Amino acid sequence: MLNILVCVKQVPDVDLVKMDPETGNLVREGVPTLTNPLDLNALEAAVQMKEKYGGELTVITMGPPMAESTLRECLAVGATKAAIVTGRPFGGADTLSTSYSIVKAADMLGKFDLIFCGKESVDGATGQMGSQLAERFDASQITGCLLIEEVNEEEGYIIAQREMETGAETVKATLPCLLTVEKQNYRGRIPNLKGKLASKKAAIETFTENNIDGLDLNKIGEPGSGTIVPRIYPPDLPEPGQIIDEGSTEKSVAKLMDMLAEKGAI
Amino acid sequence: MEKRDYKNMWVYIEHDGKKAEPVGLELCCEIRKVCDITGDKLYAVIIGDLAESEQTLVKNCGVDGIIYVSGTGYEYYNTDAYSNAFTVLSKKYNPSAIFVGATVNGRDFAPRTAVQLDTGCTSDAMQIEYDPKTGDLEFIEPAVGGKIMAVITFPKLRPQIGTHRPGTFKYAPVGAKENIEIIKEQIDFPVENIRCRHLSFAEYEFDPELEIADCDVIIGVGNGLSDEEQLPRYRELAKLLGGKIGCTRPLFDRDILPYKLQIGQSGVIIKPKLYISFGISGAVNHVAGITADTFIAVNNDPEAQIFNYCDYGIVGDMDEVCDRMIAEIKAKQ
Ligand SMILES: Cc1cc2nc3c(=O)[nH]c(=O)nc-3n(C[C@H](O)[C@H](O)[C@H](O)COP(=O)(O)OP(=O)(O)OC[C@H]3O[C@@H](n4cnc5c(N)ncnc54)[C@H](O)[C@@H]3O)c2cc1C
Ligand SMILES: Nc1ncnc2c1ncn2[C@@H]1O[C@H](COP(=O)(O)O)[C@@H](O)[C@H]1O
Repeated sequence: MLNILVCVKQVPDVDLVKMDPETGNLVREGVPTLTNPLDLNALEAAVQMKEKYGGELTVITMGPPMAESTLRECLAVGATKAAIVTGRPFGGADTLSTSYSIVKAADMLGKFDLIFCGKESVDGATGQMGSQLAERFDASQITGCLLIEEVNEEEGYIIAQREMETGAETVKATLPCLLTVEKQNYRGRIPNLKGKLASKKAAIETFTENNIDGLDLNKIGEPGSGTIVPRIYPPDLPEPGQIIDEGSTEKSVAKLMDMLAEKGAI
Repeated sequence: MEKRDYKNMWVYIEHDGKKAEPVGLELCCEIRKVCDITGDKLYAVIIGDLAESEQTLVKNCGVDGIIYVSGTGYEYYNTDAYSNAFTVLSKKYNPSAIFVGATVNGRDFAPRTAVQLDTGCTSDAMQIEYDPKTGDLEFIEPAVGGKIMAVITFPKLRPQIGTHRPGTFKYAPVGAKENIEIIKEQIDFPVENIRCRHLSFAEYEFDPELEIADCDVIIGVGNGLSDEEQLPRYRELAKLLGGKIGCTRPLFDRDILPYKLQIGQSGVIIKPKLYISFGISGAVNHVAGITADTFIAVNNDPEAQIFNYCDYGIVGDMDEVCDRMIAEIKAKQ
């Protein structure tokens, strides 16, 4: 019986976030959110392990209360428990303080044999959280996991393949182990009716700055972050290039190709 | 310790014994310039034995010193020994910054070292500046889908750790210094304490089509692509021009092309002579990864931002323009 944890993040649809031209602030209000797509691949890997070896599968997220919908999405496809870390003081966190907060909360849920993360988030895209969580869980880590070959709970190891630049590396790691998952072999699944119903009723454990044992408030949120974003600015847009318009696609392309040939570009 | 007491900058030279990863050399060249401004010394960190000729390449990047690490535990890359080596070294010498190439393994251990040292870690910054008022480095990168540029700093903690994509910075060695300080450190990591061990490696069959970083002609295909069936024409055009195709992130997300062909801030950085983009909107995350001598953009939206980055643009349907280009080239052959 494995005790499995999956870390999932709710992300804004970054394509729809706008910058207020007056204030320079990001406008996130009304922007739809989604579950970080690669986290659903991590969840799928975890669900397969639960199906194969049995056990509990907890999903955890840190974010605003509305991130509960992401947890319910995960409960619908096989997670058995869910927890959220939420509250104003956690805001403005970088990966250093987010990993601290998540591990402090997760410690209250028990000891995990396997911890899964997405390869990266679409908004942060640092892909760092996995390694940082692994250090804080005092776990081994397999980043960029392509395929899990074997989990041996009795002897306390896992064998899996990692995606490298030029090939696949097979590694053997001790449990507990944290994996960040590549999407190729772990496509997410569609929830069935039973899963959907169960997910609506499931209780979600809520952690705040007030009920996490031994939480050091100096280590959470922005004050606990190693990095901050002191300023943002709009990228400078270069002057537009020359648009070639000769009245028809055919003529424009002919003109362009002539110009390129003249330049020696083709 | 106050942050100003942390001095000097380190670049990790990843290698396989025979060859140093180019990204380590690129970082040395860039950080040399940064150190010239900050007054810090630049050290290269080499773990395990590296061929003499490759060490010369490192020296030629203008480093002030090299830290050689030897000991048990480094034979095959593993997170435990490598993250520990940097943690031990850093606690001894207190560098102000550590730069690591964003290879698979660099991205694996650098964030872990950061937690061990209780500091932050940035990833994929495209630019590094220095603010003399605060003494902080500024890691600058596009954020929120490229709508803004974000400046990231370490206001309190040290070392400032960053991972950077291969190709982000130019390899432009300034030559070797006359006196290069050599530091030798033995840091033994007990092999039995390595929690994740290398068992075997299966090399993928080499596919030249997936190696685009050094390609002279690249056809970039974007989310304007209606479906996979439309792809062959772009391959044909690339072939006719002696190049290869690359793509934006949505095509990877849509499972049409592999991640190795994703061009941009979090993908491959390219420097082709000719880049032709089809159906690409021009998000900073994408264009930040391109330095092209000649940049052509094709998009059916005249307002598309990509036209700001191109030398020449055509407003039109991407498939149609591609077909016309193929016809033009064939007609001239
Ligand atoms: C942290 C982070 C890192 C990222 N890293 C990368 C990265 O490394 N690389 C990357 O590419 N993206 C990256 N992105 C995503 C990036 O922000 C953009 O979402 C992406 O580049 C958009 O790709 P696109 O231009 O192909 O798609 P879209 O923005 O959807 O644009 C499609 C374009 O096609 C045009 N079009 C549609 N139909 C046609 C037609 N028939 N003919 C001609 N034109 C047509 C449309 O007008 C539109 O301009 C990153 C995002 C984040 C948040
Ligand atoms: N706020 C969060 N809550 C839970 N998990 C997270 C959170 N942020 C990141 N993660 C996990 O860490 C992975 C990598 O995220 P990132 O480092 O932001 O690219 C994600 O795919 C998630 O699995």
